[in-house]
Amino acid sequence: MKKAVNDVIILEGMPETDDRIGKLATKLSERRDAVPFALLDCHDESIQKSGQILIEAGQMLILHRRDETLTQPARREANFVADLADGPVKRALNGTSPLRSLLVVGSGTLSHSQIALIDDEGKTHARADLSHLRPAGEGRDVTLASLHGLRGYDKALASLADHLRGAEAQGSHLLGDLVGMLFPKHEPYDPKPETIIAPDQGAYDAANDIIRVYLSVARQNEAGIIADHDSEFLHDYRVALRKIRSVISLFRGVYEVEQTEKLKARFSELMAPTGRLRDLDVYLLGRDTYYDLLPETLHGGLALMFDIFKRERRQEHRKIARLLESPHYRAGMAELENLFPPGSGPARGLDADHPALDYACGLIWKRYRKVCKIAAAIDDETPDEEVHELRINCKKLRYLMELFAPLFPRGEMKAILTPLKELQENLGLFNDYSVQQGSLQYFLSHHPSKGERDERVMATSIGALIALLHQRQMQERARVVSSFAHFDSPAIRRQFLTLFRGKGA
Amino acid sequence: MKIIACYSNKGGVGKTAAAVNLAYSFAKGGARVLLCDLDPQGASGFYFRMKPSKKLLDEAFFKDVERFAKAIRGSDFDNLDILPANMTFRDFDVFLSRMKHSRQRLGKSLKAVRDDYDIVILDCPPNISTLAENVFEAADHIVVPVIPTTLSERTFEQLLDFIKDQGDGDKKKIIAFFSMVQKQKTLHAETMARMRETYPKRFISAEVPFSADVERMGTHRAPVASYAQSRPAAKAYDEVYRQLVDCMDGDEK
Repeated sequence: MKKAVNDVIILEGMPETDDRIGKLATKLSERRDAVPFALLDCHDESIQKSGQILIEAGQMLILHRRDETLTQPARREANFVADLADGPVKRALNGTSPLRSLLVVGSGTLSHSQIALIDDEGKTHARADLSHLRPAGEGRDVTLASLHGLRGYDKALASLADHLRGAEAQGSHLLGDLVGMLFPKHEPYDPKPETIIAPDQGAYDAANDIIRVYLSVARQNEAGIIADHDSEFLHDYRVALRKIRSVISLFRGVYEVEQTEKLKARFSELMAPTGRLRDLDVYLLGRDTYYDLLPETLHGGLALMFDIFKRERRQEHRKIARLLESPHYRAGMAELENLFPPGSGPARGLDADHPALDYACGLIWKRYRKVCKIAAAIDDETPDEEVHELRINCKKLRYLMELFAPLFPRGEMKAILTPLKELQENLGLFNDYSVQQGSLQYFLSHHPSKGERDERVMATSIGALIALLHQRQMQERARVVSSFAHFDSPAIRRQFLTLFRGKGA
Repeated sequence: MKIIACYSNKGGVGKTAAAVNLAYSFAKGGARVLLCDLDPQGASGFYFRMKPSKKLLDEAFFKDVERFAKAIRGSDFDNLDILPANMTFRDFDVFLSRMKHSRQRLGKSLKAVRDDYDIVILDCPPNISTLAENVFEAADHIVVPVIPTTLSERTFEQLLDFIKDQGDGDKKKIIAFFSMVQKQKTLHAETMARMRETYPKRFISAEVPFSADVERMGTHRAPVASYAQSRPAAKAYDEVYRQLVDCMDGDEK
């Protein structure tokens, strides 16, 4: 059901009501019985961040937004938005990532009541639906007051809103405050937290800050990987570790040489065991694409292959969960966190005190020059290795720009990052198609055998797939020269010059 | 936006009850509904506990679309708004007749709220006049409650004649139903049979019985279905609503 709301007011506790507000009498309707509720959101808090509150209460799913309240039956097959029953809530959550599962942020009991302002004829002039949320833990009770105005009774609506807000000593709260009020122990999560870098801050401090922040991001994903809520926990975990590793390897001279090597090895070592699980996730998420590539007659072979992937994924996941739960891993992570305490870090290198802005410009400019140099040599005849080289350097350039982004004007950075991303997309696909062919080939010769007939069916499908992927790789290869030309426009060149040139060492 | 007029050239036939209960049914069905109380005696507004509006005065009302929109009030029910009766509506016909091109005034006023409503129901005063002409022109459908008596037979015939006399009158707009039916009365049964035979296309099959539940609308000051949902009268109005929707859908095709 869809119900229009004029405003939602968030109140601490239950609002006090007087018998009359102005000339109108207040009527508080009986509360229906309290039902258990759970506040739901994805791990990245995308529902809250888009200004919505999703509550499962009893058999209903309720979505509060600024100007409407949507309800539908709560039953669902699994925990992704796609698994919800069809209804207004599901439709409204359309923008939520299909890869993210809905998780319980916190729970408690919920009861409803209604307050109405009525004149001497018994006619309602304004109404508010009150959802009273009582959290199970240490949080505060909260009332969500959804105001419903009736056409032509604007004054009554305003005085009801004032009255409800007046009950609140500190004024009203925002939808975004709700989780903090109800569940103060809930840890907020942001996969891309903004780091603050001052231009004259030492490069060493900047590196420590970034690493500290992303170590925490990685750790916030551990529980979700173990519980296997969705594939994005592992993905975010790996992205965070990769960012740290790129800081260590790209920020040259910030740490002592030996320390740098040790840290690089340490973070590679952390990432390595999760690689296979991520690959399998990517295969399984891309399942529909593979099916679309091949005619139906060849789907049988794909089904066999995905069955094997599924089984392998289960094993891999168990392995990773065990690893993350092991005392050895935990001690190792604690040790790393201790290496980057607030305001400090590991052994300093020669460039440790280099001011961040100057340092960033130097690194970015040099990497940009390198990208241009490699690209200049590429034509349709160049061997694939050179294209891979270009891809790797573009990736490093992107990392540097993103890591140091807080130092530069947002709009100008975006203007060059967008065409860079487009170039990377092309190079990335070129690489993916090549890697996929390799791994399918490997799979064909190494997968656990299941009888001759299955063998043949699977080989036919995979063979066809490899041929198609090869074709796609060629198509991407043919685009490389033109996509670089697009990136290498006079405007972008000027932008790089003004932003990064002449400032660095 | 569809405009439905509840009209009868005879008083006391359950016209306002039909307007109120149909408006409620449409709103319940999810349509955004505006009920215009054009009949000061019928007092649709009264059934929704609305005080008559003092602001709506004189002929400027239908000219000044902004004032028209401002006079609308939300009812206690979701999706259902009311334009309450104006005390001077009784003089309304006179004003309208004085105005040039008066026949188009109502239609123009209603356009001001076109985007706000899916259904506009007009509760009209029971006479054939300028206002009635206006209503017939503006309305997509004219719902006519008929008490199955000999007198009603005559007035129904007059209504059809009146529509025929209008240059662009279209009697297909008329959707009639039998109202305040007392099955045990032979007269009622005979009249209904005869009229259904004479006007087979004008009458829908739904009938609203004579009922104390409908009369109690005056004390409850609310649509029947809101306090006596499972009673025969509420079910009958719901059936009228359903058949009316079918007629409207049939028109679309």
